[in-house]
Amino acid sequence: MIPERFEPLDPVIHSPVRLAVMSILMTAKHADFNYLKKETGTTDGNLSAHLSKLEEAGYIRIKKSFQGKKPRTTCSITEKGRSAFISYFKALESYISTNKKEESL
Amino acid sequence: MNETQAKEEIQLIKNMLERTRKATAESGTLFIVWGVLITLALSGNLLLAHFKKYDWIWVNWVAITVIGWVYSVVYGIRRERKEPILTYAQAVARHLYFSCGTTYLLIGIVFPALKVYSYPAIPVLHAAVSGILFIVMSGIYEWLLLKWMGFLWLLSAVLMSFFVKGTNRLLIFTILFIGAFLIPSFILKAKYKRELAAK
Repeated sequence: MIPERFEPLDPVIHSPVRLAVMSILMTAKHADFNYLKKETGTTDGNLSAHLSKLEEAGYIRIKKSFQGKKPRTTCSITEKGRSAFISYFKALESYISTNKKEESL
Repeated sequence: MNETQAKEEIQLIKNMLERTRKATAESGTLFIVWGVLITLALSGNLLLAHFKKYDWIWVNWVAITVIGWVYSVVYGIRRERKEPILTYAQAVARHLYFSCGTTYLLIGIVFPALKVYSYPAIPVLHAAVSGILFIVMSGIYEWLLLKWMGFLWLLSAVLMSFFVKGTNRLLIFTILFIGAFLIPSFILKAKYKRELAAK
């Protein structure tokens, strides 16, 4: 159980792959599926599942198009996703600062 | 979640942000293409000025500009389609190239044709815009050489307006352009190739 003084962590972002995807999309206007796969070191199916969760939460936009005959999937972060990421980061910081406070006491 | 896990997650975020930031490598192709085109236009300008064919100068610039813009648009579309990621820094850089390119055109062709100022003012104004372009780029790509080139352009703009007159101004600008624009473009290209090979 999380103590009251800790900020709750958003379960949608609280997964290494989804956190990595959100971190990449915070500094990118858009990134394609293969780039995200390479950077997160995951498989096609696994990444697809994580991206779907983020899309369902309204945190990212997924655009499917064709590059010649090859299909291409690109992702970008939404405003909702951006604020969720910032809140998540602040929540993470609260764990560190609260613990530091405890140590200093 | 404990402190160690929180620190690990923050580290993961930092790593991802850093890796994405490094994806902002610039190939320098557009710089080289524009550099070569403008050097050609400047050389043509010098020749036309030497033979006192001033009425043809605008044709020279319009031709080079049209070639440059068509190439830039095609190149931009192709890169956008191929690139796996577009960072905000790259997007800012593209807007910068577009705005400076447009300003070069206004300064070099439109304003003199409208008699806002006379032709000898062009190299000075172009040098000032180049200074802005290079200093902003040095911030985007975190590359000190570009900052120095930027200051060199700004200083040259001031010095040219005080000490160099008429066609000589164009000659100085051409030399400056080769040294402070074309050469850094080739260095940028080589840097990009090295970064690509290191990945």
